[in-house]
Amino acid sequence: MHQRQKPSTPQHRRGLAADGGALSMLRNDSRSFFHFSQLVLSAGQIKPSPALKHSKITYFEVEILDVQSKKQICIVDKVPPASTLLDVKHKFHKACPQWYPSRVGLQLERNGPFLKDSVSIQSLAVSSIITLYFTDLGQQVGWTTFFLTEYTGPLLIYLLFYIRLSTIYDQAESRKNFRHPVVHLACFCHCLHYIRHLLETLFVHKFSEGHTPLKNMIKGCAFYWGFTSWIAYYINHPRYTPPSFGHRQVSYAALAFLMCEAGNHFINVALAHQTNSGNKTCFPSPTYNPFTWLFLLVSCPNYTYEAGSWISFTVMTQTLPVGIFAFLMVIQMSLWAQKKHKLYLKRFYPEVQRKAAMIPIIF
Amino acid sequence: RRRKGPGALATGYLVIYNVVMTAGWLVIAVGLVRAYLAKGSYHSLYYSIEKPLKFFQTGALLEILHCALGIVPSSVVLTAFQVMSRVFLTWAVTHSVKEVQAEDSVLLFVVAWTITEIIRYSFYTFSLLNHLPYLIKWARYTLFIVLYPMGVSGELLTIYAALPFVRQSGLYSISLPNKYNFSFDYYTFLILVMISYIPIFPQLYFHMLHQRRKVLSHTEEHRKSE
Repeated sequence: MHQRQKPSTPQHRRGLAADGGALSMLRNDSRSFFHFSQLVLSAGQIKPSPALKHSKITYFEVEILDVQSKKQICIVDKVPPASTLLDVKHKFHKACPQWYPSRVGLQLERNGPFLKDSVSIQSLAVSSIITLYFTDLGQQVGWTTFFLTEYTGPLLIYLLFYIRLSTIYDQAESRKNFRHPVVHLACFCHCLHYIRHLLETLFVHKFSEGHTPLKNMIKGCAFYWGFTSWIAYYINHPRYTPPSFGHRQVSYAALAFLMCEAGNHFINVALAHQTNSGNKTCFPSPTYNPFTWLFLLVSCPNYTYEAGSWISFTVMTQTLPVGIFAFLMVIQMSLWAQKKHKLYLKRFYPEVQRKAAMIPIIF
Repeated sequence: RRRKGPGALATGYLVIYNVVMTAGWLVIAVGLVRAYLAKGSYHSLYYSIEKPLKFFQTGALLEILHCALGIVPSSVVLTAFQVMSRVFLTWAVTHSVKEVQAEDSVLLFVVAWTITEIIRYSFYTFSLLNHLPYLIKWARYTLFIVLYPMGVSGELLTIYAALPFVRQSGLYSISLPNKYNFSFDYYTFLILVMISYIPIFPQLYFHMLHQRRKVLSHTEEHRKSE
């Protein structure tokens, strides 16, 4: 299956239109005043079309083979050398509409790495025909969709448990038991956490154009929604036992939680600010805002604050399932922080060397 | 990418490990036969081989370590899963719920495990020494057709038999209210374990059948070409 493309660059097109237009008007003997005035006006603007320099542009042809069967799927031809892999993917999508660009994985060799979209065709070319192997990366979702789904679920699920649906809890017990104020506070904090995440996803974070496989979204949602159900069940249970140290434990933990939430928010804003201003050349610096001072000690303070939020929530509710969830989150975030820290070490070596990845001094 | 095989020291250690395990399961097999001959019936034979069974089945935990260290080219997760399910059945069901120890289903899975493990460990021993008799290879990839369903049936029947006793005694279960707001119902957990056999067993069984076709047909070709 060949993809025939009209060989037209923008300038070429404009030149042709101007020429053609004037000629047809002269030929057609302007019938109305409008046409006559157009003719007069356009006459002055006609420039002799510059002799088109027919430079030798070697167009490439990209042959796309299926990675498993090695059969040819299609040939994308007339690929200008200045184009990137993304342009090739778009052309491929026009030829085979079911493979949209974010789903297409192209490799130079059968077991090689997937090529980035920004790679230029010129750099790949050994001859005028380039052979690439195609893998279907599966159904993809955008990052915004991913995060919105992942965070809306827990918000709604927790509220379902909070209102004590009759199918979950025994109605007789639910009605007679007095609800300790910490249960209401926990619901407020939990909702605050996820509403903040949702608002940040919509208004603060600037996601790159990337996508992620649908499988990842299903796994992430299963984890978050599953754990939220589990912890909400115990906190809102009629037989919930409030914390051992009473009001003091609850108030201090709630205060710590709110501070960590604020901290996380300000760090996210600072990071988004940096991406916006395009100033990726230096490590984010602390400002007058005391929450950003953690940048001095730690390279990924957003993970520090998030871990802090969940640990405070655990102490506030004194519920083992929340503790297990917080433990797993801390492990996951430590792994992310370590990866990011390594990246920072490569990019901003001198400043970042003294800092820890997530926990000040320790790690 | 070919994974680097174990070095000489690791191979020596693995040979010793596999020989010890083969010997151990042979002890269990002999113990079963002797107890049967002494008692005259096949009921309640578990008590005669209780200690060696626990010892050698728990010893299989070392195999997870072998995978993690890379001296055995298997997936850590898969091996951990298989070994943990065996250890779970040995300790958390048969040992913990004393009333099921007299059941016949226990004999069913013990016999299946014994025969399978003797063949498996001798297979590994001979493979490591590069002198694998065809009989052992054939046995490993053929007898499972009968032994695997036999073992699974024994395990499921045992767990099923344990259920009422777990319910009655509240074994390993915590209920609300408590200081840490946590609850665990071992009875429900056992039911979930039983249900999990439904998707897992066919997958493993057909995987082994597939392996059988690959390994035994490959050997046939090799023999014909000689």
